[in-house]
Amino acid sequence: MSLTEIVTPYLPGLLSGFLMTLWLSAAVILVSTPLALLLALLRDSHNFWLRLPATVYVTIFRMVPALIVLFFAFYALPQLGLRLKPVTAAILGMVAVGAAYMSEDIRGGLQAIDRGQWKAARALGLSHAHTLRRIILPQALPLVVPPYMTRAIIMMKGTSLASMVAVGDLTAEAVRASSITYQPFIFIILAGAVYLAISAALVIFQHWAEARLKPAPMARRRV
Amino acid sequence: MGLPKILLWIFGGCHRRPGRPGRPLMSGWRTAVRSRLRSPVALDFSILAVVWPALLRGALVTIELTFLVLLFATPAGVGVALLARARVRGVRRAVMVASWVMRGVPPLLVLFLMFFGLPVIGYRVSPLPSAVMAMTLYMAFYFGEVFRAGLDSVPDGQWRAAKALGLSPARTLFRIILPQTIPAALPPYISHATEVLKGTALAASVAVPELTSAAKQVFVVTYRPFEILIAAAAIYALIDAVFIGVQALGERWARRRRPAR
Repeated sequence: MSLTEIVTPYLPGLLSGFLMTLWLSAAVILVSTPLALLLALLRDSHNFWLRLPATVYVTIFRMVPALIVLFFAFYALPQLGLRLKPVTAAILGMVAVGAAYMSEDIRGGLQAIDRGQWKAARALGLSHAHTLRRIILPQALPLVVPPYMTRAIIMMKGTSLASMVAVGDLTAEAVRASSITYQPFIFIILAGAVYLAISAALVIFQHWAEARLKPAPMARRRV
Repeated sequence: MGLPKILLWIFGGCHRRPGRPGRPLMSGWRTAVRSRLRSPVALDFSILAVVWPALLRGALVTIELTFLVLLFATPAGVGVALLARARVRGVRRAVMVASWVMRGVPPLLVLFLMFFGLPVIGYRVSPLPSAVMAMTLYMAFYFGEVFRAGLDSVPDGQWRAAKALGLSPARTLFRIILPQTIPAALPPYISHATEVLKGTALAASVAVPELTSAAKQVFVVTYRPFEILIAAAAIYALIDAVFIGVQALGERWARRRRPAR
């Protein structure tokens, strides 16, 4: 039996799994980003009562395995009256974990900006929101991109966990095909190659974004 | 999508405030919280009194798995770091490619590959060793990166100096170089060790009876996923807290010791 004969019957399944993985990755990364930014800002807030819940949230979700959170979203929320489709539960769980990790990456970039810039902007009469949007974030962005993209790649790989809560993603389809055909090497290595290709695409995007952000006007930082 | 459903669940019932129809959505949040707490599925943590032996057994397997993976992956990581600096170019290339592949595919796939792949090529191993092998395989490359950075923190001149003093390469490595890499490598090493701990949850997918799969087995029978998953998460957090304590100690120790320049 040749390779194509083995793989062909499972191609539609693998393709739909691939699309599901892309959809999960995009949804998780795009939904996590604003939440992570919010968490990062709350954690650096001067108000203790804003800082505390954000810190507690990030600490808890970074200490617990993502799989437990996914199980929680899928199995435990119905107990509280919220019954979600597997895909929705998976996205919810992965966003909850991903935002916590990502907020740390963003916070690192925000903290690299000299505190004096906040004071200077304040002395010039800029509002807090205005300072953040026009002064701090543009300078933090080039610093945040490398760790942010590393995190995005980790989150993309992490979408394989969705296969554990009955989502038909690439991992689930590859495992299903290999347990039917007893050809794990073909299907799992194929799936691995596809994941590598997605992460390579993200790395290319990262290089593009870094090159694009480099000439952005920046106040000189003292290194 | 499920977003409306989630929002409806959070804010649903907020408008149902007796005697005051038509209030704004958020005004009745107390009523909503109260109705949720009084719902027929009220939480009952007394179930833990029944299921704790199963969770404990799972936690012990999780600790065993973490320990075994750290035991094997640490020297493997040192090996990877040394090979990545090998004098032969082909070896360096091969290690770089392997490292890129292992860090680019989901750990879950590596676990499945070991679990389904080993029997096909004629090795029948039980789930735990196959999970240890898979996790060692991919953690070795993560640790390899950690130790490579550690080795880079020791100046190359020390190798030459040790050679000039007539020390063998092995002796140089173990007595001169490795001890000096510890301050730079320890903090990232421990944060990767907590990743190993959290990564062991994945072994649930290949039938290793560790904490996550023990929790699942128990809540599938008792229909109490909420309480049992909270308990499992608390156990993970507890073990994690030990690592974080070690990390704090290690960082304090590392600050006092920097490699000689």
